[in-house]
Amino acid sequence: MESELVPPGLTYLADNIISSQNILGVTKEQSARWAQNLNLPRQAETVFFAGCGYQYSSQLEVLMSLIRQIDKSVIGAELPMRFARFQKKLGLNLPGIYSNVVAGGASSKVPPLEAAIKVLRSFGIEPGYLAEEEPCCGAPLYHAGLHKKFAENARQAYQKLKSFGVRQVISIVPYCTNAIQKLFPQYVEGYDLEVKHFLEVVDENISSRELRFPRQVKVTYHDPCQLVRYLSLVEEPRRILRAIKGIELVEPDWTKGEWATCCGGGGGFETVFPELSQVLAVNRAMELLETGADIIATHCPGCVMQLKEGLRELKVDGVEVLDLSQVIAMAIET
Amino acid sequence: MKKPSEFKNYKKEIMGAAHDDRLRLALSRAIKSFRANVKNALEKFPHTLKMAEEVREIKEKAIPQMEKLARQAIEAIEENKGKGYIARTADEALEIISDLVGTGKLIVKGKTMTGEEIGLREHLEEKGNEVYETDTGEFIIQKMGSKPMHILSPAIHIPREDVARLFSKVMGQEIAPDADIAKMVAAAREFLREKFFQADIGISGANVVAAETGTLFIIENEGNIRLATGAPPVHIALVGIEKLVPAINDAYKVSEVTWRYANYTVPSYVSLVSGPSKTGDIEKVTTYGAHGPKEFHVIFLDGGRTELARHPVLKQALYCLRCGACLYECPVFAVTAGHFGDKYFAGIGAVWAAIINKDLEKAASIAYTCLTCGRCRQRCPMKIDVPEMIIELRRWLAEGD
Repeated sequence: MESELVPPGLTYLADNIISSQNILGVTKEQSARWAQNLNLPRQAETVFFAGCGYQYSSQLEVLMSLIRQIDKSVIGAELPMRFARFQKKLGLNLPGIYSNVVAGGASSKVPPLEAAIKVLRSFGIEPGYLAEEEPCCGAPLYHAGLHKKFAENARQAYQKLKSFGVRQVISIVPYCTNAIQKLFPQYVEGYDLEVKHFLEVVDENISSRELRFPRQVKVTYHDPCQLVRYLSLVEEPRRILRAIKGIELVEPDWTKGEWATCCGGGGGFETVFPELSQVLAVNRAMELLETGADIIATHCPGCVMQLKEGLRELKVDGVEVLDLSQVIAMAIET
Repeated sequence: MKKPSEFKNYKKEIMGAAHDDRLRLALSRAIKSFRANVKNALEKFPHTLKMAEEVREIKEKAIPQMEKLARQAIEAIEENKGKGYIARTADEALEIISDLVGTGKLIVKGKTMTGEEIGLREHLEEKGNEVYETDTGEFIIQKMGSKPMHILSPAIHIPREDVARLFSKVMGQEIAPDADIAKMVAAAREFLREKFFQADIGISGANVVAAETGTLFIIENEGNIRLATGAPPVHIALVGIEKLVPAINDAYKVSEVTWRYANYTVPSYVSLVSGPSKTGDIEKVTTYGAHGPKEFHVIFLDGGRTELARHPVLKQALYCLRCGACLYECPVFAVTAGHFGDKYFAGIGAVWAAIINKDLEKAASIAYTCLTCGRCRQRCPMKIDVPEMIIELRRWLAEGD
């Protein structure tokens, strides 16, 4: 039995995962479009795990901006919590909206993922990609407290990966990586999967490459909570950024590494507290802007979305938010 | 949620706070100075890090035997001619204290979170007593009719101009909004001074208690607790049972780690109280009630702590030293202060709301406001894994035991 104490914003994500194997409840075909011209093999021992956050980033932006508008409007603070019901009431066809967004063209591209594949290939690594067969890691179920559902999903996801003969996973979304690497073994009997985060792979291979950013820039790095405090990837991103010629790494005095401030988008928080989440995004953006950076690099689809939102609210021009994979790819191209 | 309107009110309160520029300003200043102070304190006394590890071990051993330690402490306190009690519930604690206090009394109170937890001041006032909070922050809160917003700095959210206005009203002497803070502090001192000496009873909490000697360690900077527990003829202390450690040496270590992480190199005062005041100066005959209190009562409150201690994950909440450091690292607290919380604040507050105060609606609200970002854990001297507790609590709220 499921308690009514779980905020509906989170049960919305949870229901979507159960019904459609992704947090938005849309078709899996939408998720795989970014890779259609990359010719990644379906079957491979080592696969690239792309995750919902990046693959649906355009759709998520639409959802979040909608939710934030509702949250701030006179309709009331409670409604985003009951989003699914509200959506029906208004006759909103969200999956339809998402499809239109994607059909709109450019948004079927997911630059951070394309960049990541490019970077891996430059190291001679040719990973597989399960495309629409990629299972959802189910992390939001875990964070919502729905552990039975998470456990069931974890076992199915694991079986799915195994059924494709997967032995190694290169994962990129922080939440997914933590789930598959650290949480799955707690729920899956006989767990036998080697999970590496994309940055670890880059860090291992980077000395073999000459890296130069196309122009001279100041870059600051925002540590995603799950990467820095759950997966302990503190030095890797910094070593990588320092290895790129043309980049000067500038960081806040205090709020960096293990002390980095959360962007305000953690574990579904943004669906329960859309407006507060925006306030936190602005706060974090301000801390990072104090470094005088031209580029804010981070490495999480949630953080990218939040920090962009922060800059938008602050009406800051001339500072760009980029995923670290894009920064690395740009340094490889030149 | 069962009662969405309750959550709606909570969310409204949180957002109200988040849009309060004055609150934000007060907090951002406090956070900045806290970080600088704690850095300085830890650099000056680097052994604190190792000592914190030792204290974690002390707490891990002490928590499973709280009840035994409480009995041992009571035995020691009574040997010292004080009186000790174990209160099973908050109501029981209130009853014991009301029986000791009676009615029509003047009471001076030091800041106690445990008192806040059980609504002690309000209860004593209802029973017809006049109660004065003597901690400056707590005094401001009491006179404003507000609630504490931080466990160590209860008035952290109130800017000086508002304090000046309040004091002018309460004390009947005009304090300009741009007056020196020193002037405001002096006004509070003058106002409360006579109360300490007129009071029938002084009430305090304690930061840690050594069971073998029954010694209360009370850390403070203002000196109000020394007066409140020294001047009146009766001293009543209310202490959570989780504050007990075996030996006086253990208690010392707990104290030092507590004040260091509370951003002090050393506090102005640490009082060690083990019994009522006594003298043997006339013919070596021990006589009680010399210059300090003649009566000394210590109430150890369980109030759900034993139940909490049995939980494999949530029991960590009992290791908390109440240094308040985590609050300065919480991104949500930085914009909402104690509105994100209940009797205790931020993520760890959800555990207390659920198990100690048995308010599941409140616990859920707090638990789902936590980002589980883990920066509090990074700061915590006891390495309390708040995200782990929050996820477990959510599981518990969502799926039951």
